[in-house]
Amino acid sequence: MPGLTPEEWSAVQLSLRVALLSTAVSLPFGLFFAWLLARRDFLGKGLLNGIVHLPLVLPPVVVGYALLVLLGRKGAIGAWLYDTLGVTVAFKWEGAAVASAVMGFPLMVRAIRLSLDAVDRRLEAAALTLGASPVGVFATITLPLALPGVVTGAILAFARSLGEFGATITFVSNIPGETRTLPLALYSYTQVPGGDGPALRLAVISVVLAMAALLASEVLARRVAARLQ
Amino acid sequence: MVFAAASTASAIQDVIALYGARGAVVASFAASSALARQIQNGAPADIYISANPRWMDSLAGAGLIEAASRRDLLGNRLVLIAPADSPVHVDLSAQPALDSLLGDGRLALADPAHVPAGLYARAALEALGLWPAVAGAVAPMNNVRAALVLVERGEAPLGVVYATDAAITDGVRVAGVFPESSHPPIVYPAAIVAGRETVAVRAFHDFLFTDAARAVFAAHGFVVE
Amino acid sequence: MIEVHVSGAAGAFRIDAEFTVTEGGVTALFGPSGSGKTTLINMIAGLLRPERGRIVVNGAPVFDSQAGVDIAPHRRRIGTIFQEGRLFPHLTVRANLVYGMNRTPPAQRYVGLDQVVDMLGIGALLTRRPATLSGGEKQRVAIGRALLASPRLLLMDEPLAALDAARKAEILPFIERLHRDIDVPVIYVSHAMDEVLAIADTMVLMAEGRVVAVGPVEEVASRAGTGGLGHAETVIAATVAGHEPEFGLTRLAAPAGALRVPRLDRAVGSMVRLRIRARDVSLALSRPADISVLNILPATIESIDDHGDGTVDVTLDIGPGPRLHAQITARAVHDLALGPGARVHALVKSVAIDRYSPAPPSQSSDSGT
Repeated sequence: MPGLTPEEWSAVQLSLRVALLSTAVSLPFGLFFAWLLARRDFLGKGLLNGIVHLPLVLPPVVVGYALLVLLGRKGAIGAWLYDTLGVTVAFKWEGAAVASAVMGFPLMVRAIRLSLDAVDRRLEAAALTLGASPVGVFATITLPLALPGVVTGAILAFARSLGEFGATITFVSNIPGETRTLPLALYSYTQVPGGDGPALRLAVISVVLAMAALLASEVLARRVAARLQ
Repeated sequence: MVFAAASTASAIQDVIALYGARGAVVASFAASSALARQIQNGAPADIYISANPRWMDSLAGAGLIEAASRRDLLGNRLVLIAPADSPVHVDLSAQPALDSLLGDGRLALADPAHVPAGLYARAALEALGLWPAVAGAVAPMNNVRAALVLVERGEAPLGVVYATDAAITDGVRVAGVFPESSHPPIVYPAAIVAGRETVAVRAFHDFLFTDAARAVFAAHGFVVE
Repeated sequence: MIEVHVSGAAGAFRIDAEFTVTEGGVTALFGPSGSGKTTLINMIAGLLRPERGRIVVNGAPVFDSQAGVDIAPHRRRIGTIFQEGRLFPHLTVRANLVYGMNRTPPAQRYVGLDQVVDMLGIGALLTRRPATLSGGEKQRVAIGRALLASPRLLLMDEPLAALDAARKAEILPFIERLHRDIDVPVIYVSHAMDEVLAIADTMVLMAEGRVVAVGPVEEVASRAGTGGLGHAETVIAATVAGHEPEFGLTRLAAPAGALRVPRLDRAVGSMVRLRIRARDVSLALSRPADISVLNILPATIESIDDHGDGTVDVTLDIGPGPRLHAQITARAVHDLALGPGARVHALVKSVAIDRYSPAPPSQSSDSGT
């Protein structure tokens, strides 16, 4: 890409990779929790809803610290993962993806839940009487009809990941080429005298990527909705 | 309103408490670079205490401080820390194999690109010929306290922080001390922001340099002349 | 054989219903809006759980609160056709049709796609989307879809309610023929007597969440008009005795006597169901002569029910079979000094008699007025 130094280009690529992984991994969870909140009543439902939305209202640094405590190499869950499976996300781009996934989760769940609520439950009942199991109903009726919202939720989470800073830098630090995503690189450049040039370039790229993601979300959602008519 | 480097936080709070009824003083702590930016953008700071002369020079060059009020307030030492339960001892002037000590872990430090503590750490490691071995295994954090937390939690086996930071918590122990010759002197200049001098501001600024205040700084591990 | 005995609630509405149907064919679930018909259907389909009770279909229980049986709706193999059709908007007509069939093991399928498409005349619609179909077309596809899942029991919840008269007339024959071509029991929910008389054999009368009566259509339908459930009417079963083609009339033999009705295109001996509204029945003390009315039946007044609004409902014994209901003015009762036991003649105009007769297999049905 013209005009970008290797470090800047590395930050862009890393951001895209992190955003893709975080969106792909959180999608099944987003679907599950959105379905749970949209279709089921249970004790503690309000609490679950609150927890899902926490990353939206907590300071990102707090979320990052919580991730450190839970998933760091010595963390409550991270230690078990490392000792038992030899797997860790600390100081790795996968950890940045986890931070992005957590921060984008509320946006994804909200969008998907909204579209699930809009699916006519009488259609689901009809599918049951035709012999489709509850899982089959979800896969063949509910999900296809809720697809516009799912697409929107995924792209929102993707775009959120492109801008994710506080939780990432607190959890996996600012390692060039590994965890220095676009926002972290941008921030670093702003902290160095004379770094305004690269900072501006990266800012422009951030805006372009985010706009592209949001526009794609618009177009895709509309196209999917048209196919349902 | 005092803008002071994060690493001076608890010491400054104690000094303010000591100042007591003589006047109301409020302090804001952050990375020296962030504070300098804020002052550049017109933040209502009266006194600026930086962890690094560079940022003070930058402000002075822009005419943003009362040049006559600038004095070096504190000094500090750079130390290598490890988690409290780690037995590691390192003689930093003897070419230790830091990379093998790190294993597959990382060296926690403040971002060497722009945070003063990080800049000092990198300078010291380079001067001792240790930087190339560890450059690929660092965990650059947003500020030096975050690096401290990493080591305290055991997420990083080693870290480089100020001696004053290591003194805050029992969760880390000093594994080695960087020779003063390995890095530029860690100096904390203090100055009054241009156009903010009043009797009250000058009074507190002077108080910082009294024996009573100095005793407090020394108790926190700072080097005072 | 279908046995239903449930009690439960849907929101604030309570239902406590019990009925058993031993013959196959079409069972109508009849009653005014809010009488619990849809709630009951949802319970049979498994979409709503009763608090207590037992539901047995063809000898196998699908719900039994005492035995702890509650088969999930997708395993009951009970097809349901809803008032709104509920076709899946994101699938083509063909995909909708085979949705249930694909989930039915081949060994249990008793109908095929071509057969059902032919029967319902929806071949031209297969590649279309539900949004582009008319109301009548949607319902035909909905019927086909439920049928193709080869259900053991077919529930129809007011399938024609959302259609205009022309569409209803278009689809009723399909439903009527359907249960004869394909031997599956049907429970047909409706609040329209027309539909019920056209296709049902058995009738379950419901009111306020309870079953008021169960029995052959002719018996129960007559009761449907009394007790505040609607206007009194009489339903009689008769057979075709002969035709008078020069006058365009058909002679019918009913237990009460001979009746003449406008021409009915059926063979002699065919079964016909007649519906006579009480307001179309007049009374005379002596047998009138020189009168246009062709149907004059001797009768004895059994009871007189004063509605308090100037009209009365007179229940007449016309011999074997259901009672005949006449609605006349209170004044007439007074002037003619009518009372229980009085012998009168009931007059019914031929053109006022509704005839319902299932069509022979090769013809379309004629449910005329």
